[in-house]
Amino acid sequence: MKEVIAVIRANMINQTKNALLEMGFPAFTACKALGRGKRSVDFQVIEALDKNGSLSENPELLPSISQGGRLIPKRYLSIVVPSERVKDLVDTIMKINRTKQPGDGKIFVLPVKNVFRVRTGESGDAALDEMAV
Amino acid sequence: MIMIKAVVRPEKSNEVMKSLFDAGYPAVTKIDVAGRGKQRGLKLGEVVYDELPKVLLMVVVPDLDKDYVVKAIMSSAKTGSKGSFGDGKIFVSEVEEVYTISSGVKETEEAA
Repeated sequence: MKEVIAVIRANMINQTKNALLEMGFPAFTACKALGRGKRSVDFQVIEALDKNGSLSENPELLPSISQGGRLIPKRYLSIVVPSERVKDLVDTIMKINRTKQPGDGKIFVLPVKNVFRVRTGESGDAALDEMAV
Repeated sequence: MIMIKAVVRPEKSNEVMKSLFDAGYPAVTKIDVAGRGKQRGLKLGEVVYDELPKVLLMVVVPDLDKDYVVKAIMSSAKTGSKGSFGDGKIFVSEVEEVYTISSGVKETEEAA
């Protein structure tokens, strides 16, 4: 079993939810998070550039002005799946969330020792049967 | 790769974020959480507060940088020279794979 943690753009949550459901990953936990990446964004500079129109003409400017330490609102998703479905899940999240701009997010894959279903006391892969192929 | 989750005081979170930034780890995810520790929360007279607000900071770093980052968080999250109850906890866990969505690249130890 693996836990897949994805930090994605806040406005992509609905598309991601639907795509996950279609691929057979109905269950997940989500919460709102703040974050910054390797390059953080200075919104004042972007606003100023956006106003005089130079940003829409030269989108390649974006990375170069992205300095500073401000936090950006993100969505945090945590999904525990059987090991053999990790690739499916990562590919799905990646496909839906990729705009090819910095800020699309990160995906982490962590090992999980065991899983229990509270209602029945089942453990291991049996507790994750809704995620099975 | 290693995921470091630190539960720190909300009023200390900016300081911790800054020390991580200065230490060369700008990428952090921050979540507001509530929790209690082994002191079972705070007791003020008759009232027990056992859902104390904290901030959860999540950083993923290469294996070799683990001790350095833990030290950076530890020194900036401490209150007073000895530290005190409620300063928080740091959890370290293993991450098997890391992907950047925008490029689709699977990150490796060297690149991170």
